Amino acid sequence: MKPRPADAMGARSDPASVLIVEDDRSVAEVVATALRARGHRVEVAVTGDDALATAAASEPDLVLLDLGLPDLDGVEVCVRLRRWFPNPIIVLSADGAEERKVRALDEGADDYVTKPFSMPELLARMRVALRHRELVAAAADPTRLALGDLVVDTGTRVATAAGEQLDLTRIEFDLLVLLGRHPGRVVTQSTILDRAWPEGTSGTTGALRVHVRNLRRKLGEGPDRPTLTTDPGVGYRLEVD
Amino acid sequence: MVVVAAIALALAQFGDDVSRATEVLLLVLPVATMAVLGRRWSAYVVAGAATIAFWLLIPPVGSAAVALFADVVGLIVFFIVAVTVTTLVANRIETLERVENDRRILMRSVSHDLRTPLTTIRAATSELLDGAEHDEATRRRLLEMVGDEADRLDRLVANLLNLSRIEAGALEPDRREVDLLELVEACLARLDRVLTDVEVVVEVAEDLPILRADVTLVDLALTNLLENAARHTPPGGRVTLAATSSGDTMTITVADTGPGLDAPMTEAIFEPFRTGAIAGASGIGLATCRAVVDAHGGTITAGESPGGGALFTIALPLR
Repeated sequence: MKPRPADAMGARSDPASVLIVEDDRSVAEVVATALRARGHRVEVAVTGDDALATAAASEPDLVLLDLGLPDLDGVEVCVRLRRWFPNPIIVLSADGAEERKVRALDEGADDYVTKPFSMPELLARMRVALRHRELVAAAADPTRLALGDLVVDTGTRVATAAGEQLDLTRIEFDLLVLLGRHPGRVVTQSTILDRAWPEGTSGTTGALRVHVRNLRRKLGEGPDRPTLTTDPGVGYRLEVD
Repeated sequence: MVVVAAIALALAQFGDDVSRATEVLLLVLPVATMAVLGRRWSAYVVAGAATIAFWLLIPPVGSAAVALFADVVGLIVFFIVAVTVTTLVANRIETLERVENDRRILMRSVSHDLRTPLTTIRAATSELLDGAEHDEATRRRLLEMVGDEADRLDRLVANLLNLSRIEAGALEPDRREVDLLELVEACLARLDRVLTDVEVVVEVAEDLPILRADVTLVDLALTNLLENAARHTPPGGRVTLAATSSGDTMTITVADTGPGLDAPMTEAIFEPFRTGAIAGASGIGLATCRAVVDAHGGTITAGESPGGGALFTIALPLR
């Protein structure tokens, strides 16, 4: 049961402890088996109340949270966890509707994986979430973001790609900063409209799409360049290899 | 109301050039429009306003007086037609909205119920193909789970097909003699792996009378109840299936030691496709149970088991 190097969770030296909140025993067992094989400490909760109690008792490094629980709505569990729980929460949703995912993300979930998912897909999302937590904790200079060959200085409001300055509008720059502060993670449309738009003005999703398109074009492409991807109906991510 | 007033004023202006039939058609138009828009009570108000407008257009125009008896009859008929049109259209619109809402819930529920076993299958196969190295026992366990979840999908599809056939009235029970104990043993053998973590107690008297029922449908109902009980009972818990007969009725109960049901849920869980509020596959499974039992002229109820947990009771006529 030796974990493969590719499965190591980011730069962590020790495997993360994971709380799986899932009422379907088969799904919980498969995920738990795969995570334990990689050395993670795994606990399983089958109800929302059980999840809140277990999280409080063991303070896991990451929570995998199914939205369809028998007692509490998964979004409600997310809300209650976020009152004190600082670590990543990844939502597992069999729900095709985007609306619940967006609600969970707006209530503090870090990311989501749609059922049915493959283990590599889930592990990749977990890696991003754990890495992001470490990046936030280790950020020495909060005014400078370095993502591949993209460098964003929020103090001077200058962004460069491979050393070349990007000609960005105010909204494009704020959008880049917002996405850059959460690399690899989806940021919902409502969060962007709330935080990246100038105060006193209200943006629309149509206008946001135009700014995203322009920013994507200005970022260009390159082996070390982050890519701006769309999660249809949910939001946008800045993917960093 | 504004439209009715405008039509009435226009008709009063050109009253001599417009026939009574045209007046009626024009005044019914806003009533039907409100009904089509799904505003039943607004449509009734507009129907009343249109009747008053029609009344005022009847000679002598602008007066509450009506010169001819035939016009009084016409006025009453107009009111009845306006109210009837509103009622029929509003009923139809509300039915269509309910069907659309049920369809939406159905799609969401089916999607949830099908994706959950698919998740296990996909996660397990991806783990076996590209995941960590597992010992032989773990590999075997993952493969067994793939097989179990494929069986679960098969049962879900059977439930969906049978439920839709029964609800469409296309499935009449093919009543034959059924030995319940034999049927229960067959169900338990099939669900062996689902029930592996719980103790199963069967309390069926050997001299239980023969039941005349559709063996496939009763099998489906019992399978659903047992699977539902197994999925809601923690490992080490107990699932008890009992059957008794009294007079011309056979009573079958399935009790578990799971978390039980909140009182408001005891009826809602049988409503088709209400899985959103309930975990697992209970939405389709229990709705199918009710459809099967109804098709046999029996009843199914849910309640609290004396020892805690849920208790499902089926009463079926013996013949």
